[in-house]
Amino acid sequence: MILIHCPYCEEDRPEVEFTYGGEAHIARPLDPSALTDSEWEGYLYIRSNTRGLHAERWRHAHGCARFFNAVRDTVSDRFEVTYKTGEARPAKITQTGGAA
Amino acid sequence: MSGYRLSSGGRVDRSRALSFSFDGAGYQGFAGDTLASALVASGVTLFGRSFKYHRPRGLLATGVEEPNALVSVDRGPARVTPNVRAPQVSLHEGLVAESQNRWPSLKFDVVSINDRFSALFPAGFYNKTFMWPRSAWEKLYEPVIRRLAGLGDSPVTRDPDHYDATYAHCEVLVVGGGIAGIEAALEAAKMGSRVILIDEQDELGGAALADPALWSTLDALTAQLFAADNITVLTRTTAFGYYHQNFVGASQQLTDHLAPSEAQGPREKLWRIRAGEVVLAQGAIERPLVFNGNDVPGVMLASAGRTLALRYGVAVGRAVVIMAAHDSGWRDALALIEAGVHVAAIVDIRTVVPADLADAARAAGIALHLGSAITAVAGRHAVKGVTVAAGGTGPAHKIACDAVLMAGGWTPSVHLWSQAKGSLVWNEAWGTYLPGKPQEKCRVVGAGAGAWHFGSGAITSVLPNSLPVSRQKAFVDFQNDVKARDIQLAVQEGFRSIEHIKRYTTNGMATDQGKTSNLNALQIASGVLGRPVTEIGLTTFRPPYTPQTFGALMGHHKDALFQPVRKSVIDDWATAQGAVFENVANWRRARYFPKGGEDMDAAVARECRAVRQSVGIFDASTLGKIEVVGPDAAEFLNRMYTNPWKALQPGRCRYGLLLREDGFITDDGVSARMADDRFHLTTTTGGAPRVLGMMEDYLQTEWSDLDVWLTSTTEQWAVIALQGPRARDVIASLVGGIDLSPEAFPHMAVREGTIAGVPTRLFRVSFTGELGFEINVPASEGRKVWEAIFDAGQPYGITPYGTETMHVLRAEKGFIIVGQDTDGTMTPGDMGLDWAVGKKKPDFVGKRSLARPEMTRKGRKQFIGLLTEDPQELLEEGAQVVTNPDAPIPVPMIGHVTSSYHSATLGRTIALAVIADGRARIGETIFVPMADKVIRAKVTAPMFYDPEGSRLND
Amino acid sequence: MIEIAPLAIGATDLATGTAPHTGAVNGLSVSLSPAEPRVRLSLRAKDVGVLSAALGRALPERIGTQLDGIARLGPDEWHALLPEGSPVPAVSGQPLSVVDVTARSVGFTVEGPGAVAALIRGCPLDLANFAPGRATRTVFETVEIQLWAMAPDRFHVEVWRSFAPWLWHSIADGIV
Repeated sequence: MILIHCPYCEEDRPEVEFTYGGEAHIARPLDPSALTDSEWEGYLYIRSNTRGLHAERWRHAHGCARFFNAVRDTVSDRFEVTYKTGEARPAKITQTGGAA
Repeated sequence: MSGYRLSSGGRVDRSRALSFSFDGAGYQGFAGDTLASALVASGVTLFGRSFKYHRPRGLLATGVEEPNALVSVDRGPARVTPNVRAPQVSLHEGLVAESQNRWPSLKFDVVSINDRFSALFPAGFYNKTFMWPRSAWEKLYEPVIRRLAGLGDSPVTRDPDHYDATYAHCEVLVVGGGIAGIEAALEAAKMGSRVILIDEQDELGGAALADPALWSTLDALTAQLFAADNITVLTRTTAFGYYHQNFVGASQQLTDHLAPSEAQGPREKLWRIRAGEVVLAQGAIERPLVFNGNDVPGVMLASAGRTLALRYGVAVGRAVVIMAAHDSGWRDALALIEAGVHVAAIVDIRTVVPADLADAARAAGIALHLGSAITAVAGRHAVKGVTVAAGGTGPAHKIACDAVLMAGGWTPSVHLWSQAKGSLVWNEAWGTYLPGKPQEKCRVVGAGAGAWHFGSGAITSVLPNSLPVSRQKAFVDFQNDVKARDIQLAVQEGFRSIEHIKRYTTNGMATDQGKTSNLNALQIASGVLGRPVTEIGLTTFRPPYTPQTFGALMGHHKDALFQPVRKSVIDDWATAQGAVFENVANWRRARYFPKGGEDMDAAVARECRAVRQSVGIFDASTLGKIEVVGPDAAEFLNRMYTNPWKALQPGRCRYGLLLREDGFITDDGVSARMADDRFHLTTTTGGAPRVLGMMEDYLQTEWSDLDVWLTSTTEQWAVIALQGPRARDVIASLVGGIDLSPEAFPHMAVREGTIAGVPTRLFRVSFTGELGFEINVPASEGRKVWEAIFDAGQPYGITPYGTETMHVLRAEKGFIIVGQDTDGTMTPGDMGLDWAVGKKKPDFVGKRSLARPEMTRKGRKQFIGLLTEDPQELLEEGAQVVTNPDAPIPVPMIGHVTSSYHSATLGRTIALAVIADGRARIGETIFVPMADKVIRAKVTAPMFYDPEGSRLND
Repeated sequence: MIEIAPLAIGATDLATGTAPHTGAVNGLSVSLSPAEPRVRLSLRAKDVGVLSAALGRALPERIGTQLDGIARLGPDEWHALLPEGSPVPAVSGQPLSVVDVTARSVGFTVEGPGAVAALIRGCPLDLANFAPGRATRTVFETVEIQLWAMAPDRFHVEVWRSFAPWLWHSIADGIV
C-alpha cells in the first residue's frame, strides 16, 4: 500500500483512504452542444494511456474528501507530485523527462 | 549416543522429553527440537516423496529453504495444515505430522513407478503429451495428474481458528534476527527510533544458533534488545512481502508451536508494517551441489548437518562424507568432529584448498579427496555409501557412509530486496547475485549483503562424471524434480531466457520459489548456452516469500466480521416478525414477511393485495439521501439531472433522472425542495455512494464557482413508506402541524411537521401507484415511529411488506428499477422517459451524448411490457426475446426480459423487457425460447394497472 | 462443501455494545464504550469567516484538527460534535451549509494505554503521532470513520449508524 501526499491535508496518507479518478486536465467543455460528435468523443473517451509520467485525478475520499491531481509514474507507481484541483500541472514534471 | 542424538551439546532441553508422531509411529524429542531434528535424532531419513517422480526424499536443509521435507501437521479436525517444512515445525507434546504425496505409504509408494520411467517424463512432458484431444484435459489428464502430482491436501471443512491483524509503524524495521540484524536494531534504537525486529524462528540468533562460540555474544545482545523499550521483537514471524514505500507484510505464528490444548487466542497475526527504513538481515542460503544421486535421503546441506549437531545435538549420520566446493564445508566438518560426529571423508572438487583447513582436517583424521567428485550415491531410502572419482572421470573408489553433506557455496537471500525492486549485481567470484542499489529506503546487512566469513569456493554447475548428464539423477530443484538434464533439454529445445526455462522445466516454482535451485539452474543454462549468467536473466521474485495461510491474510475478516452487513433501524422489528431477508448492495433488506407457512409467492400475493386494497408498510430507509444546500442548489441540480429544477417550488417533489456523461441512465429518485436553498435528494439504495461521488466530482472539479454543498443523509433518516388507499387514515391521528387533505397536501409534495411526536419530513410520493407517504424521521426515532404507525394501522389491517412486493407493485405500474430494467446502455428515450428530459435546458450531464446518431437511431432497444399468452406462465428474467423461434441458429435476438412477476392484483403474470423498436411492436406476438419450450407473449405498453394514475391522486 | 453465504449473514446478529468492553491489547489495558449522545452538524463553507460569523464561534483552521468540539475535515468542511440539546443554527440565504446529522452516526470512546494498539488493528494511520487536538476522517479496515484524538490515550470514533455493530465488534475482537 502506497502513501499519497494529499495537497489539502498536507500530509502523506495511506492509499486505502483514496480513490482513483482517471486522467487529469480534461475539462468538461463549457458548451458541449457546440462540439462535433468526434470532438465530444474525444472528451468522453479518448485518454492518453501514458507509459511513464501521467497526470491523473485522485480523491481523498476517506479523508478530506477532495479531488486533487497527481503526476504518477505508471511504470514504477511512484507519485512525483500532487497538487490541488485547478492548479496547472507543474512545469518541471514533463511527460518524458521526469522531474527536472 | 542414543539413536542419533549426541550425548551433549545443542540448545535443546534434554530434561523435557516430548512425544510426537509421524505417519502414525511414535517418537520422542526434546523441547527446543523441530520436527526435523527430532526425526533425524530418531534415525528417520525418509521425509517425503518428490512431486513428479515420487522419489524418496529426506531432509535437505534446516531452514526456510527446505524443499523436500514438507509435511501435514494435524491439530485436529479442520486443523490440518499441509506443506509445512519439517525444520520449521517447533516440536510440542503430542504433535501429529504426516508425510505427503505418497500412497499407500511413504516407504512403499505405488506412484514411484514414475521414477522408473523417468526417462519418459522429461522437461515439458506435460505440455507435450497431454495436448490432444483438448476435451481430455479437463476430464482425464488433469484429474489424474492432480492426484499423482500432489502436495498436501487442503482442509475441506471450515477453519475453526481465529486470526488477528494489525498495522504497525516504525522508523526502522529489521528483518532477520541474527547477530547482524540484532546489531542493526540496537543501533537504530539508540537514535530513539521505534524499531521492529522480526525473525521467522522461535529463537533469535539466526546462523549463530549453530555456532556455540557466539552464544555468549548472542545472549548479551538479546538482553540489550529486550531491555530497550523502543524495540518490538516479533519471533515466529515471516516477512512475506515487501511493497512500495517500505510497506512490509508479515505473518506471526501465535499458537502453532503450542500443543492444541494450550493454544488460546488467535492462531496467526498479520502485521502490515510501514517503516521509515528497512534493514534486511536475512542471511544467506547454502547452495546444493548438482551430482548423480544428490537426492538420496541422507544427502543434505553442510549447514544443515552443522545446525543439527550444534543447535539440536543431533548427528546426521554415523559416518559422514562432505562434498565440498567451498571452504565452509571444511569448517563444518571440523565443527562436526568437535561435536562428536564422525566425518569419514572430505571430497572437494578443488585441487587446492587453504592449507590451514587441509592441515586441520588431516589432523582430525579425515580422509581427503581433493580434485574429486562424488559420482554415485548408493541407497534408496537412506545413503549407504558414495563413489568418488578423481576429476569425476578418473579411477573410482567407494566410501561407506550414511550421510553426505554438500557445501556448494552461498546465495544471499535477496528475495525481499528484489521484491522491493532493489537492483542485483552479479559477483563472478562468488557465483552469485548481491544486492546493488535500492529503490526504497532499504539496506542489507550481514551475510545477505555478501558480508560473510565463510571463506571462498569454486563455482560449479554439474559435478564432473563419466556418465552423461542425461543418465544421471543429478537434481537441481528437489521440490519440482528438475534435473540438470531437464535444464539442458530446455536449452536444446530453444529456450534461452531463464524465465522461459523456469516455466518449461518448473524449476524454482511452487512453495520453494527456487531458494536452493535458482543459481544452480542459471549456472547450468549458462554453461549449455555458452553465455554469461548475466545474459540469461534472473527470474522475478514475487511475494509471498513463503506460503501463507488464507487465515493470516484475512486477519479478523472472518465469520460475523467478514464484512459489514448494513441494517436499518427497522431490521430488528422485521426479524422478530419472521421476515426473510435479501442483500441489496451492502444492506440487508426484508424481502417478504411469510405468515403461517406461506411460501414467497403466497406471502407476496397477500402483501400486494393489502397495499392495493388497504395499506402496507415498508422500510425504505436504505434509499440513498443527499442534502443539497446553498444559494446555487437549484442551479446545480439543474445541471446534474435531465429535468428542470429551478422552477420547483419549496414543498414540492420531482422525479429526477441522472445520466452519465455518455448519456446512459445511472440513477433516479424523487427529490424535494425543502427551501429555496435546500433540497432533499433520494437515490437508489445501491447507487448512493456512486451518485454522491459523481456529484462531488462535478462540483469540485467542473463547477467550483457554485456555492452549494452536498451532505450524505442516508443514515440520518429512517424512511417508512406507507402505501395504500388507507395510508392517510392511518397517520391522521399521529401527524402534527401538517394538513393532510389532498388539496393542501397533493401528490408529489413534502411537508415538515411531527409524527408520533417526532419531527418529520413527510413526503407524499408513491412507488406503488397507490396513495402513499414516505415518512422521514431521524434514524434514532425510526423504530418508535414505525411501531406507532403499525399500531395505528391495525384497524386497517396494516401489512408489512418487503422488497419483493415493492418490486411487483412498481412493475404493475411500469416504474423502472435502475440496474434491473436498465443495464448501463439505456437512454431516457429507450426507457420511455423522454418526459423527464428538459428539452429547453441548454445543458445537463449527458445531454450532448443524447444527440449522437447512435442514441436516436432506429432499432434501439425500448422498454415495453410483455403478457404471456398463458396468463400463468412466468417468464425468466434475463431470457432472450426473438421474433422467429424457428429461424436458423444463431437465432437473431431482439432483446431480453428485465423483470417478471406473478401479479396478484391482475391475477396473472406480467413482465417488463427491453426489445428492439419495442414501442412499434406493441400488439405483436414475440417468442421467448426456453430449454424445453417456446413461450409466446404479447408486447404491451409497460403499464399494467391504473394507467390514468387516478389512485395516486386520491 | 464450504458454505460461504452464511458467514456474511452471521454479521446480522451483531449489535453495538451498550456497556463498556474492557480488556487489553498487547497487554495494555483499554476500554471501548459507547460515547454520550451528541448533536452532530455538518458545516460547509468556502469562507471560514462566513461560517464562523453565522455560528458565532471560532473554527479550527488547520485541516485535521479540532477546536471546542468542531473538527476541520477538509478545506470547506467542518464537523461539530456538540453537547446534547445544542440548537441547530437556522441559517439560510448565505453561502454556507448547515445540516443536522445527529442521527447519522454513533460514537465510541476508546480509552486506555492500549487505545492506539486497539485502533491500529484496523486503522492505517500512525496513531502514535496523532496527538490530542487532531481529528480526521479515515478508515478502520473497509469502514469509514472519523477519529478524534481527545486526550493522550483517549480517542473518539464516529461511524455511520449501520456500520456501528460491525465496527464495535471488530474493535472489541482485539481487546481481550
